[in-house]
Amino acid sequence: MIDGVTNTEGLSVLERLVQFSGQRHRLIVNNIANFDTPGYRPLDVSVRDFQAQMRDAIDERRTSARSGGSLNLEDSAQIEFSAGSMTLHPTPIGENILFHDGNDRDLERTMQDLVENFFTFRIATELLRSRYDILRSAIAERV
Amino acid sequence: MYGSLDISTSALVAQRTRLTIVAANVANSQTILNADGEYDPYRRRFAVFATGDPATGSTQGVHVAEIRIDQGPLRPVLEPGSPFADEEGYVYYPNVQPVIEQMNAMEAARAYEANISAIEATKAMFSVALQIIA
Repeated sequence: MIDGVTNTEGLSVLERLVQFSGQRHRLIVNNIANFDTPGYRPLDVSVRDFQAQMRDAIDERRTSARSGGSLNLEDSAQIEFSAGSMTLHPTPIGENILFHDGNDRDLERTMQDLVENFFTFRIATELLRSRYDILRSAIAERV
Repeated sequence: MYGSLDISTSALVAQRTRLTIVAANVANSQTILNADGEYDPYRRRFAVFATGDPATGSTQGVHVAEIRIDQGPLRPVLEPGSPFADEEGYVYYPNVQPVIEQMNAMEAARAYEANISAIEATKAMFSVALQIIA
């Protein structure tokens, strides 16, 4: 990373968003794979918590009068941040009724999560791409 | 994101195995002799799923842990003329119930489709991720 260029403004936020939705996709896919597994409890991480962590980190960066720089993200019980990546510790969702096979699957919500998460990923990558395009044209003007 | 395809594929394999078992059950719903030609009514098989994928050694994914034999009661049919009939004239037929098999087949097919959708989403994510660079 070139400090001040590749982590200005929205770039680091978008990068985290891509990471998060990429990793959450794996969790959702695993839940879909285990639709018929007896005793399996679908696992997920709280999107709301992630958004709160991001909001706090963005606010903190804004008030400290830095226009860019990396985000100081606070770890939560479910999401652990490190320099270039994040580790998710999913917990059972447990919002649906428990079926006789000990699985509390929720087909519709899971598929909805899959689509929503996919579009989050897509929006983040599209925005990231447009930010890189701006950088690219800035570089091209100089040369 | 990379492991996502492995997870979905493990589910496809498991669901297809389940569908194969259903097919075997339906095909053998009238089978009362074993491979050696002895009287031994076929018993319904069913797949037991467990989490984890031994193919990739991952704790995510799903696999068929075992294929169990349903020890439920066989279906007696009154056929006094049959050489396989017992003292009371009953021949025991497999404990395969077409309705249950049909339902299992549908569930397996739908779950297969759900995993295909997940694979499509993963593929789409790969291609948009590639667009960042291109």
